[in-house]
Amino acid sequence: MAKVKMKFMEVVAPVEESKEVLDFLQMKGVIELKEMEETEGISSLESSSVATVMAKYKDTAATALDILDKYAPEKAGLLSKLNNPPELTKKEYDERYDDANEILGVCYDIVSEEKTVSENKATVAKCRASMDAVEPWLSLDVPMQYKGTRTTDAYIGYLPGDYTADSLAIALAPYLEGEDEFECEIVSRKEDRTCVFILCLKECSEKLFAALRAIGFSYPSDPTKHAPRVRYERMQKLAEKCEKESEESIRRIKELVSERDDIKFVYDVFTLKSDKYSELSKVYAGDSFICFSGYIPAGKTEALIGELDEKFTVAVTVRDPDEDDDVPVLLKNKPIVAAVEPITEMYALPGKDDIDPNPVMAFFYYLLFGIMLSDAGYGLLMVIGCGLAKFKYKVKGRLKKTVDMYFYCGIATVFWGALFGSWFGDAIPRIADQFFGIANIGQVWNEHLGFTLFRENIALWFEPVNNPTKLLMFSFLFGIIHLFFGVGASFVKMWKNNNKTGAIFDCLPLYLLIIGIAPMGANIIKEGTFSPAVTSVTKWLALAGAVMIILTAGRSSKNIIGKLGLGLYGMYNVASGWLGDILSYSRLLALGLCTGVIATVVNTIGTIPEQKVPKLIMFIFVFIFGHVVNMAINLIGTYVHTNRLQYVEFFAKFYEGGGRSFTPFKANTKYYNITEE
Amino acid sequence: MENMTFGVMLAILGGVLAAAMGGAGSAIGVGRVGRAAAGVVTEDPSKFGKVLILQILPGTQGLYGFLVAFLLMNNIGLMGNLKALSTSQGLMYFAACLPMAIGGFVSAIHQGNAAVAGVSIVAKRPEESGKAIIFAAMVETYAVIALLISILAMMNITNQIK
Repeated sequence: MAKVKMKFMEVVAPVEESKEVLDFLQMKGVIELKEMEETEGISSLESSSVATVMAKYKDTAATALDILDKYAPEKAGLLSKLNNPPELTKKEYDERYDDANEILGVCYDIVSEEKTVSENKATVAKCRASMDAVEPWLSLDVPMQYKGTRTTDAYIGYLPGDYTADSLAIALAPYLEGEDEFECEIVSRKEDRTCVFILCLKECSEKLFAALRAIGFSYPSDPTKHAPRVRYERMQKLAEKCEKESEESIRRIKELVSERDDIKFVYDVFTLKSDKYSELSKVYAGDSFICFSGYIPAGKTEALIGELDEKFTVAVTVRDPDEDDDVPVLLKNKPIVAAVEPITEMYALPGKDDIDPNPVMAFFYYLLFGIMLSDAGYGLLMVIGCGLAKFKYKVKGRLKKTVDMYFYCGIATVFWGALFGSWFGDAIPRIADQFFGIANIGQVWNEHLGFTLFRENIALWFEPVNNPTKLLMFSFLFGIIHLFFGVGASFVKMWKNNNKTGAIFDCLPLYLLIIGIAPMGANIIKEGTFSPAVTSVTKWLALAGAVMIILTAGRSSKNIIGKLGLGLYGMYNVASGWLGDILSYSRLLALGLCTGVIATVVNTIGTIPEQKVPKLIMFIFVFIFGHVVNMAINLIGTYVHTNRLQYVEFFAKFYEGGGRSFTPFKANTKYYNITEE
Repeated sequence: MENMTFGVMLAILGGVLAAAMGGAGSAIGVGRVGRAAAGVVTEDPSKFGKVLILQILPGTQGLYGFLVAFLLMNNIGLMGNLKALSTSQGLMYFAACLPMAIGGFVSAIHQGNAAVAGVSIVAKRPEESGKAIIFAAMVETYAVIALLISILAMMNITNQIK
């Protein structure tokens, strides 16, 4: 239960069977292929061009699915994402495979219809813009390009500002002499722009034009050849035609919705193919054979060799990977431990020398998470929510791990919440008090039961709000235990890697020192926590630990002064590092109090009204809203701080990371799970 | 009304500072991350969930400040039987609120800055978003410590006065 042991496998197969062998391996999904050095006689089957084509087909299918979703969204509830994809046996897969090319054709049809739709939409937009531009000119009966008759000149264009025929004449007057005659028609006017048609005799044309320019006359950018109405109607017709066409295309796309399942299948088919062809760069061919090699989990070797031998004529050799190979990491743990694997992966996968931290980490993850969220009501909601996902919807894969993690975190939260007497804050005693007039429900129950179950209100242990120092001490205690496990892991790691002196001298003194100092520290926080008899013993432990550190931390140095200097420096590092690390666990108290107190505030606000009926109504609303918000915020905070305690305090003691995840050559399908039988 | 002493005023001033400065810091921090997050979402709406978590992170200081203010009101009995605090007692409560007020204000802003940088991690390498969260969460440690000291100081002051 930890890091899976990896084997290195080399396979040689005849060229005729190459396709079948590779398909078989992809379905099995247990081997991660590794690039080899090309030697004489063999060369890589690299076929990136085919892989690109396959990837293009896959993208086309994906685009087609997107388009279908756009016009006919798949009816899907929120929970449907939790459902597992349907299963497809290899046989069914092969049967449907024959239609793949035909379906791909459908995909291309959908994509081209969508292209028609978007092109038509663009044309419609263009028509509308052009219609908008000529709209002010609709009452003009001559073309906008009209220049006048033999004896007259026409000016058709815009003037900035709002003019009537009279005000225009007044505006132009300063620039003209009295006898300059012109005829002006206001085609349309708006606040900031007037469309004018002006006709004048050729003689005074120049002067008039200058006058018009002076008040800001400009020609339209795209004047019509015919009367503006003609263009307007032409554009209108074109827009209508395009709209009809795109509607038609959309209708055709909608008709193809029935093919959605097939397109999903095709998407998976081409995913498999493009993956396979990209993997081919790690397969090598000689004259009549192909060969490839890769990593495989040790436990799966025999079964795979058996099946390979049975189905194909292959030669297989298996050996341990070389010492300096970059062996990929695969973790295998019980579900309760595997649930925290994503958290470790987020930091880093275990490196070559690392042990799998998950088994130790899982326990503390749940423990610390529970103390920080520390409300049994919220924990219960988590357990119910994740329980539904886990047992009713049976989620799988990565999501399952996350759901599992919150499920167990929820259980831990219920545990700690019950110990601290927090069920949605003080909701239970408050409801009992405010609505039923029972002042101390914990006491009442104790009398019922005949023994002291609830030691403080309804807390099975104690209420942190009333005794924060006590929880602070326990936070430090849990922290020390957590860190001691980290040191223990470091011991195991060094011991395994044959660094036995390191294991003893770097780990044991720490235990002595911390166990020795902790009681004194506790007495500083609260006097009399430990009796003088205890501290008089432990101070010698602390001294022994400190001396050992000073004497041994500098053992890498050659001369005596260097040894002593490094020893003192090591002691300083231990002291400052551990002080900070342990104090960091005070967040257990802070975040725990935060959840509880805010929950209590919510309940307090909810019970402000005096009369019972308004109080009940107010309480229900405030309760639901307040607790949802408080739970959401504290969940995020708790998650973040639990991670931090693992990463910064715990992992720093022993964990290096840097491993590479095991990514086998497999059927990476999205919509269907392909099973063997 | 005879309990409304100068000490009470000082104590309330402390609580108000904790809530106001924590809230102000968080508002700045959350606002900054929100702007950066909106930029990412315009490019890729599917990253909404990831950036939202980053945006919420600098929001906790406001909550902690609120918590301290509430505890203060509880401790001096503002919502029940108000205690007539002497000036020095009021000053003690005032001092107890200061770590949260100052620590909360400054850490919220800087946590916001760290989260903004984290948003760009999410934009470029969404698979590493967990690390972005951790970077921002590092800053929060100091808000948590400030909160803790404020709470412990306040509770112990109340115990001493009793």
